[in-house]
Amino acid sequence: MFRTRFTPVAVSAHCDLPCGVYDPAQARIEAESIKAVCKKVADNDDADFRVRAAIIKEQRSELVKHHLWVLWTDYFKPPHFEKFPELHTLVNEATKLAGASGTKGSFDESVADDLLAKIDRIAEIFAETKKA
Amino acid sequence: MEPTLREGDLLLARAGARPRAGRIAVVRLPPDSDGMPRPLSVKRVTGPDPSDPSRWWVERDNPREGVDSWLVGSLAARDILGTVLWRLWPRPGPLPKAPAA
Repeated sequence: MFRTRFTPVAVSAHCDLPCGVYDPAQARIEAESIKAVCKKVADNDDADFRVRAAIIKEQRSELVKHHLWVLWTDYFKPPHFEKFPELHTLVNEATKLAGASGTKGSFDESVADDLLAKIDRIAEIFAETKKA
Repeated sequence: MEPTLREGDLLLARAGARPRAGRIAVVRLPPDSDGMPRPLSVKRVTGPDPSDPSRWWVERDNPREGVDSWLVGSLAARDILGTVLWRLWPRPGPLPKAPAA
């Protein structure tokens, strides 16, 4: 480390907030909520109800993106991305599925299912990294 | 380590110096709970670990951020890599031997 005595070395005082609590379940719960909203809207023609459902679905979709981004930027580290090369693409596809081209722009339950499947795959990788 | 140290400070450290209570040291912390290595760090040595005097107890000046011996336990003497003597830039000068009250 100090082989060359006068070469500056970067030192840190902290790497992150201390909590360190991460779980893909957060994203999953929001995605489940999106799916339930789609189901309820399919059986309801009330205009006000549909507006509220759209707003809630928009918010929950945004939360899915937030939780997945937190995992992506804060939890997963370079060795994880090395071991699971599909991880970057997976997070990209999952957050897209929670966006305008996904659950934000659609009341189709199958889109919510696609999103849930992507989150489940991320959760599998997450579980793998916890085993190591 | 705020308010003592700030992001970007250039420090002068002496490698291999025996740790001394109150001084800031360059230390190697144990890996995190996921087995990921932590970066080389600066912490304040508060003294030998009372339950194992061969090890050193290190703390952070900024209780709001980072980890120290309260979270990861004391460090082996070989993980105290050097003692920080001075800040070279900005505000050059010796560093206080205790965190600002």
